[in-house]
Amino acid sequence: MKGMGRLIVVLAVICAGAAFALAMVYEVTKEPIAYQKKLEVIRSLDAVLPGMPIDPDNDFIDLPGEKDQDYRVFRSTGEEGVVGVAFQVIAPDGYSGNIYVMMGVLPDGTLGGIEILSHAETPGLGSLIADEEWKSIFKGRSLDNTNFKVKKDGGDIDQITGATISPRAVSAAVERGLKWFETNRETVLAAGEGV
Amino acid sequence: MSGYGREFNKGLWLENPVFRMVLGLCPALAVTNSVINGFAMGLASTFVLVCSNTVVSSLRNVIPSKVRIPSFIIVIASFVTIVDLTMNAWAHQMHKTLGLFIPLIVVNCLILGRSEAFASRHPIFRSIVDGFGMGVGFTLALGVIGAVREILGSGTVLGYPVMAEGYTDMLVMILPPGAFLAMGVLLGLFNAIDRARS
Repeated sequence: MKGMGRLIVVLAVICAGAAFALAMVYEVTKEPIAYQKKLEVIRSLDAVLPGMPIDPDNDFIDLPGEKDQDYRVFRSTGEEGVVGVAFQVIAPDGYSGNIYVMMGVLPDGTLGGIEILSHAETPGLGSLIADEEWKSIFKGRSLDNTNFKVKKDGGDIDQITGATISPRAVSAAVERGLKWFETNRETVLAAGEGV
Repeated sequence: MSGYGREFNKGLWLENPVFRMVLGLCPALAVTNSVINGFAMGLASTFVLVCSNTVVSSLRNVIPSKVRIPSFIIVIASFVTIVDLTMNAWAHQMHKTLGLFIPLIVVNCLILGRSEAFASRHPIFRSIVDGFGMGVGFTLALGVIGAVREILGSGTVLGYPVMAEGYTDMLVMILPPGAFLAMGVLLGLFNAIDRARS
């Protein structure tokens, strides 16, 4: 057992040093990381509701969404009330893992746009859902003027050659989102003042 | 001084971590679907290598050999966490792309290997040079694999199109099997060059 104490002391000192260094770095990077996360939200909101200023820290409401999940609905409020809302839906039936989609909806139920927040679809095939070209086809669509199925299934949404599953999943998620908005429109728009 | 030059150069070719020692293959295969990803992973690993070599070398006379491996791992894991947090704060997009593979630098046997085989037996400055050389060699290797895969798989280099009009992307090259194909061909190529030289 001789020398055991030395082993313990050396290891403990190294661990303490490491812990101290990490605590320092954590303190320094805490703010920038939080800022980056916020920036990410702002960027996606700007993409789905172009030209509509949103204060993601204050103007939102949390409502029960589908499958026990809360939707955080960000709102852009103009002089005459809410001019646009944005919330995140999840497409669970993509090719690999969940696809997170931010969708912007105007008060009349038309889409301002969609943004793919994160996905793990096949690079070069399914990943094309994140391209501007494909995302932009959702702009201006609503439950009234669009059948949210891919063309292969008899709907109006372009699939991507070699990748039908990912567009199908995203499109279905967007449709569910729009239906949810339809049902909860009153609450979403009316809650008006404050949070 | 020439000693230091040799210490640095060996990482580039003679003892190149990926192509000669075949170490650190997990990141070398997993994140090299484009040049920029390979490079970023290489740079992150280089930082960890240089820092852990420095610390391990400066503590080499203090750490009892019985607990040297746990000690090295603590040092390495700390630097990896530092890289992880720093990239999350100031290179957010790249951090998202590389994702899980940044924390996984901890288990890159190249880094523990250099601590154990080199830094724990050599003076500080020599260890820094060794870590830097190995890191640069690793970065170059990942960059080369990334370039091959990006050119064949996406027809681009660093996002700029380089292939002639009408080139059909070989999608498989940016998918996981492409990593093995590129790695195998490159390994063979480097072995052939080596044989021709000697």
